[in-house]
Amino acid sequence: MSVLGNKKSKASSEVPTSSMADIAFLLLIFFLVTTTFPKDKGLAIVLPEPGEEAQVSQKNILHLLIQSSGIVTVKRGESQQEQQMRPQEIEGLWRQEVTSNPNLIAAVKTDPDAPYKFMVDVLDALHSANAERISLQVLEN
Amino acid sequence: MSIKGGGFEKSSKASSEIPSSSMADIAFLLLIFFMVTTVFQRDRDRPIEWAEAESAQKIDEKQKNILNIWMEREGGVYINDQPHTMEQATTVVAPLYAASERALVISVRGDREVPYRYMDQLQTALVNAGVVRVVFATQLEQSMQRERR
Repeated sequence: MSVLGNKKSKASSEVPTSSMADIAFLLLIFFLVTTTFPKDKGLAIVLPEPGEEAQVSQKNILHLLIQSSGIVTVKRGESQQEQQMRPQEIEGLWRQEVTSNPNLIAAVKTDPDAPYKFMVDVLDALHSANAERISLQVLEN
Repeated sequence: MSIKGGGFEKSSKASSEIPSSSMADIAFLLLIFFMVTTVFQRDRDRPIEWAEAESAQKIDEKQKNILNIWMEREGGVYINDQPHTMEQATTVVAPLYAASERALVISVRGDREVPYRYMDQLQTALVNAGVVRVVFATQLEQSMQRERR
């Protein structure tokens, strides 16, 4: 036993438990603070009230016809001129068009067989371009 | 200063310090309690492929005011985890919308490949139910969160 008594080190052989509470509370608070509940993301739109129909002059409408292939046909108001483009190009187009006519309304007409994602792509482009006046319709042949 | 403790002999032998040795246990208990009771998703997810959008924004509404409508690829409609037909959608949503005092936000969760005609029918049903605020729930583009399912 005399050998043990000659221990040079004065360090305690036990794990210090006094700071354990601090560590645990630190973890507790860390998790409480960093826990974020996943919030849904999405493209918000406002649907019209039932029976609410607005008469809009043709020259204020930009027709966006989404084909089932995902190609968007753009028609301006009454003119028969058509332009084909990809959904990603709508954003630039809208920014261009809306500067010349602030009352412009985007009439998004989707082919009934077109996958939903193409309509979301177009809606996304319009949202990115800060378009607020959007009408969602189904394309009738 | 000669009379210590107000003249009374300290009779209790109990330590005047709060025992701190069990503090760690209490803290860990709380930690584990919160970890176990934290529920992340209230309703079950349906197996859909999400549409992606860059300009998607968070829905600024309390969780209890959000009604999820799932739209599956074959046209199946799920409202509140219950399968419904398209014709029922109006009659199911209208009373819920009225009960929420018109604060309800409909989160439409459509599969990216669902033909648009179903989405159009759903929109018509929602308009007939008087719903005004609708969100097309999408995933933020370039995020991989849903992969873990």
